[in-house]
Formats: sequence, structure tokens, C-alpha cells
Amino acid sequence: MVEQLIANLRGFIPEVSLAVTFCVALVAGLIVKKHQQEFISVLALVGTLIAGVFVLIYADQSQTLFSGMIVADPFATYFKVVITLCSIIIILFSQYSSEVQQTVKRMGEYYALLVAMTLGMFLMVGATNLLMMVLAIELTSLTSYILSGYTKEATDSSEASLKYIIYGALSTGLMLYGISILFGLTGATDMFGVNQALAAGPVNAIALLIASILIIAGFGYKISAVPFHFWTPDVYEGAPVTITAFLSVASKAAGFAVMIRFFKVCFIDSNVVGLPAGMWASLQGFEWNNLVAILAVLTMTLGNLVAVWQDNMKRLLAYSSIAHAGYMLMGVVVLSDKGVAAVLIYFAVYLFMNLGAFYCVMLVANKLGSEHIDSYKGLGHRAPLLSTAMVVFFISLAGLPPTAGFIGKLYLFAALLDAQWVWLAVIGALNSVVSLYYYVRVVRNMFLRDPEGSAEPVALPVAQVVILLALVIPTLVLGLYFGPLVDFANASVVMFGLP
Amino acid sequence: MQEFLNWLKTPGLTHFLIVSGILFSLGVFAVLTRRNAIMVLMGIELILNAANINFIAFSRYSTGTLDGQVIAIFVIILAAAEAAIALAIVLNIYQNFNTVNVDEFNRLRD
Amino acid sequence: MLTEFGKILIFLILGAVFVAGGLVTSWILRPKRPYPEKLSSYECGEEPVGNAWVRFNVRFYVIALVFLIFDVEVVFLFPWALVYRELGLFAFLEMAVFLIILLVGLAYVWVKGDLDWDKPKPEIPMLKRSVNLVQPKEVQEPTPV
Repeated sequence: MVEQLIANLRGFIPEVSLAVTFCVALVAGLIVKKHQQEFISVLALVGTLIAGVFVLIYADQSQTLFSGMIVADPFATYFKVVITLCSIIIILFSQYSSEVQQTVKRMGEYYALLVAMTLGMFLMVGATNLLMMVLAIELTSLTSYILSGYTKEATDSSEASLKYIIYGALSTGLMLYGISILFGLTGATDMFGVNQALAAGPVNAIALLIASILIIAGFGYKISAVPFHFWTPDVYEGAPVTITAFLSVASKAAGFAVMIRFFKVCFIDSNVVGLPAGMWASLQGFEWNNLVAILAVLTMTLGNLVAVWQDNMKRLLAYSSIAHAGYMLMGVVVLSDKGVAAVLIYFAVYLFMNLGAFYCVMLVANKLGSEHIDSYKGLGHRAPLLSTAMVVFFISLAGLPPTAGFIGKLYLFAALLDAQWVWLAVIGALNSVVSLYYYVRVVRNMFLRDPEGSAEPVALPVAQVVILLALVIPTLVLGLYFGPLVDFANASVVMFGLP
Repeated sequence: MQEFLNWLKTPGLTHFLIVSGILFSLGVFAVLTRRNAIMVLMGIELILNAANINFIAFSRYSTGTLDGQVIAIFVIILAAAEAAIALAIVLNIYQNFNTVNVDEFNRLRD
Repeated sequence: MLTEFGKILIFLILGAVFVAGGLVTSWILRPKRPYPEKLSSYECGEEPVGNAWVRFNVRFYVIALVFLIFDVEVVFLFPWALVYRELGLFAFLEMAVFLIILLVGLAYVWVKGDLDWDKPKPEIPMLKRSVNLVQPKEVQEPTPV
């Protein structure tokens, strides 16, 4: 037994190194002197990098750890890579965020919590036990409640934090109640056990439906799907920009990972024969994907339509990220490996373009002290590089070629059409057209309007330009040369314990 | 009437599920109607404890394993951690806004 | 034919009747001659000072939060203690790791000073400036320009 646990620890090294980094960063925050606080960010960066390296070293393993609590498999590895990249970029962002740098006294706390949040997401993407799933979601959520209220002297920040915890705690409660019903129906806390119990014989269909809806409420809150999205705009606006960017990418990625795994492992009938390769069938005729389809339509339509009216850039990007969650939900609706692969590709792309957009907003807010859309007027002449980069990110978010966003959408729609979900694909395409409007509105303000007030050029330090380029180049390159990414995603749809 | 009394006298799974259902409904009701942030958080605690009753009842009457009870322990811890953070946030917001009425936090809105 | 729960129900009903009955009979029998001193709350015979509904020091609150966390974590120790004999050294190491992580938290709270109970400094009456018994007759105010 002890040998087995030690063998399991080997597959768990990335998580262990994150946990150690968390403790070390917390203690370092107490020891290190005030003017040397950058040291902690270096510490957090190194710790996250080490975790990332271990993820890549053990990338090919596919095993279950700690008697079925979590698994390490290609699917989890893909999301761990995305999350690690995201947290590294966010740690770099934090160096240049004036909001975060003002609170120099609590820097150790900030980076420690950031690392803890990454740890929570790592556990989320691998969880195969319902208890582990809830605990991982909760670890991620608790740290993000604190971080979104990190600049606690700012009223906006503390309001965001309160709204976040009320919605978050409620949906955790609903989800736990749903899990308790599912536990009663199947007698299993393990996802594979749930699957076996459902395959063995019919259960009460209404109870199963109620349980699934309650559990979807938990996932829906994590990925900010309508109608569980109410917290999103307020939290995104009130929280520090770095945290907003982190929530919009990494937290959403982890939410999607745990959602896909839950549905695929629990509700897929692996004994149906005669399906085309890569297609699935759901158990007991329980059509959960229709539920998700409704969520997808609501999410992207509401996200895009409300984004049109927004004047605050963070709020605009918040609604845009709701809409993107809707697009990605379309990939979950398709019961096939192609759909999941499309979601994986979309996340890799979304990582660069969304972080890039938030980075630009942060730089502008640092310089001009405003996130209002009017302060972007004439920015094209004052900061040509920054504005051009922003245009690239927006084109990519809207899904136009030759950027990476186009590739992401292409694979999503291909998967939808492949599985005969034509009406959903049409709604998705219409939504992309709507989204173009509000992205272009910002671009028009930057290039076709005269600046209000000062018109002096805005200069960026070299380091910030390097980070900007590190986000722009992948956004452009992945739009033209996407073969390796697609191969990686296709290889990563494999989950442990499933054919 | 006699049947009902007999049913009351022999507690089984259904009794516990009814209690937990009532607790859950009360919790959701509190969250939806209360305006005081602390009261909303108490409603959420009710929901978590309703789930706990379910877990333990199922564990005792239907599965016969200890899984449900272990989950209940973890849920208690989780509720405590959540309550600690939520109360700290409420304290912070009281210092900023001088109220804990959730209707008055509307600086961030469309 | 009573089940165990039936007995508890009867016990509860009897308890409620006993309390309510005691209150009601004394309310019926006792003479009612209230005066302010009688109505004031009983504080060990001392005269009550102020209202009981005072604001507590916010420090109680921080201590309570810290206590809540560390108190509830102990729940994990009970199941561990039950199976400790079977699992042996490994279980000991596992719990040691858990407790060390908790200790990091405790150290954090300690160093941050949330456990210190700094009393309000007693105000010792002191002269703020050096004794100058001879007051200047008139201080010339600078005339505003």
C-alpha cells in the first residue's frame, strides 16, 4: 500500500511542486523586506515553471492516482499546459500592473494565492471522484474570491469580491446537493462507478435530470454560462485586471475540463456498437447534450448582445468572454471526439488572444488611468504598436482570418456540421457577426477618432513590448501554421479508463 | 391518520430526504429573499447542510458504504473555510460601504 | 408500540409542556408589582453599566475566524486516529505534512500580528509642552496679505 502511494506521488509531482511553491511564497512574503518584493514573483514564476516542466516530462502517462481520486492522462495534461502557460503570463503581467504593485505590503499573499489557484485548477482537470471534483473547484474558487478583492481599499474591488462569493457559494451548494442526489441514485462517488451503476439498470429519470441540472449550475457558474453568469461582468470590472484575465482564461479552461470529463465519464455508454469512429452515445437515453445546447445558445446570444452596449472595456471583454464560453459549449454539445478536440484547440487560441486583449487594456489603464471606451479615442496615433496589437487580438476574438481565432472557430463549426447540428452552427455564425460590431467599435475609436484631451504619444518600456509581442506572434502564427496544435489536441482527447 | 402516524414512527430514507428537501428549500428561499449579506450566507450554509443530510442518509440506508459520511466531513470543512472567507469579505465591505445590505452594492452595474 | 424515535418525540413534547407549564403557572400565581430596579437585568448584584447590546472589538472577530479554521481542521484528526494503528508510519508522515501546512498558516497569522491583543495605551496625563508660566502678553497674528 505504501509503495503504491509512493508510486502515485510520481504522477503527482506537478501538484506537489505547486503546493511547495505556495508555502514557500507565503513564508517568503513574511521574511523578505519591502523593497525586495520582486523576489517573490521570481519564486512563484520558478515554481510554476518547474510544475510545467514536470507536466511535460510525465506527459505520456495515463494512470489513476490515490485510489481513483484523480487521474493523470493526456486530456488533463493538455489543460495543465494551457493553465501553466496562463499563470506564467499572469505572473509576468503582475509585474507591470500598477494596481497590484501599489499593495506592496501583501505581495507574498498575492503570488501565493495565484499559485494556490493554479494548484486548484490542476486538481480540477484531473478529478475523477465527485468529492475531489468539488474540493478542487472550491480551492480554485476560494482563492479567486480573495484575489478579486485583493485591492481591498478600492470599493469596486471589495464589491466584486462579495458578489463573487455569494454567487459562487450558492452554486457550490446547489452542485453539492445535486451530487448528493446522484450519489443516492447510483451509490458511487467515483465517476466510473456512476457510469457502471447507470449502465447496469434504469434509475429514476426525473431525479437524474434534477441532479444533472443542479450539477450543471456548478459548472455553469465556473465557466460563466447564462443563466449562471450574473457575477461575471461585475467581478471582471471590479477585480484587478491581472486577476480578471486569469479568471477569464484559466478558470474557464479548468471549468470546461471538469465539465467535459464529468459528462463523458458519467453519462457515456461505452457498449454501443455501430457508431462512427469518435462518436459517443449517451446512457439510458438521457439527452444531457440538449440541455447544454440550450445553455450554449443562451450564453453566446446574451453575451454578444449585451456586449454591444458596454462602455467599460473590462465589462465589454467580460461579456465577450461569456460569448466565447457559449461558442465552446457548442463543442461540448457534439457527442464526439472531434467536438472535444475543437474545444481544446479553441482554448489554446483563446489563451493568447484573450490574455492579449486584457494586457492591452491593462497597459492603457496604467498610462491613462481609465478603462472607458472614450479614452481610447485617437490611441492609434498616440501608441501605434499597442493599438495595432489590440486590433490583432480583436480580429482574432471576432474569428476572422488570418488569425488564430479563425482556426478555433473553424474546427468548432466543422465538428458541429459533422454531427448534423446545423441550426446550432447557424446561430453560432450569426453571433460571430454580432460580435464583430462591438470589436470594430473599439477599433474605430482608436483609429478614426481624434483624441480627447492630450495627444502626446504613449511610450512603452521594452519589457512590456516584449510581452506584447510574445502574445501577438502566437495569435498570428497559429492562424497560419496550426498543424502541430491540431495534432496535439487530437492526441489529447484520450481520457483514462475510456475507450 | 393511523397510517401516517405509523409512517412517522418508522423513520427511513424518505424521512431524511424530506428533512433535507425542506432545509434546501429554506436555504434557497433565504438566499433569494434576504437582503442582508450575512443572512444570504446563512442560507447557503443551510443548502450545504441539506446536502450533508442527503449524503449521510444515503450512506446509511442505501449504499452501505462509508463514502457518504466521509464526504460529509469534507463538506463541513469546506463550509467552514467558505464561511471564514465570506465573513472576512463582508467585514471588508462593511468598512468600505458602512452597510451589509446587498441591494446597496451597485457601483458595478450595466 | 413505540419505536426509539417515538420515545424521543414524547420526550420532546413533555419537555416543551414542562417549560411552558412552569412559565404559565408562575405568571398566573405571582404578584405583579414592577418597578425599574426590578426590571433591570441582573448582573451579579452590581448595578448594570450601559446597554448589553454594545459593539464588540473587531479583534474578537479576527480571532474567531482563525479559531474557526483551526478548530474545524481537527475533524480530520479523528478518523485518522481511528485507523492509525493499522496504517502506521505512513499515516504519521501524511498527517505530519498536513499539520505542517497548517502550521505555516498559523505562523503567517502570528507574524502578521493578528494574534496580538494590543491593549489601548493608557493615557497618562502629561504636559505637552515645556512649562512656561509666564504667558506672552499677545501673540502677533500674521496679517493676511
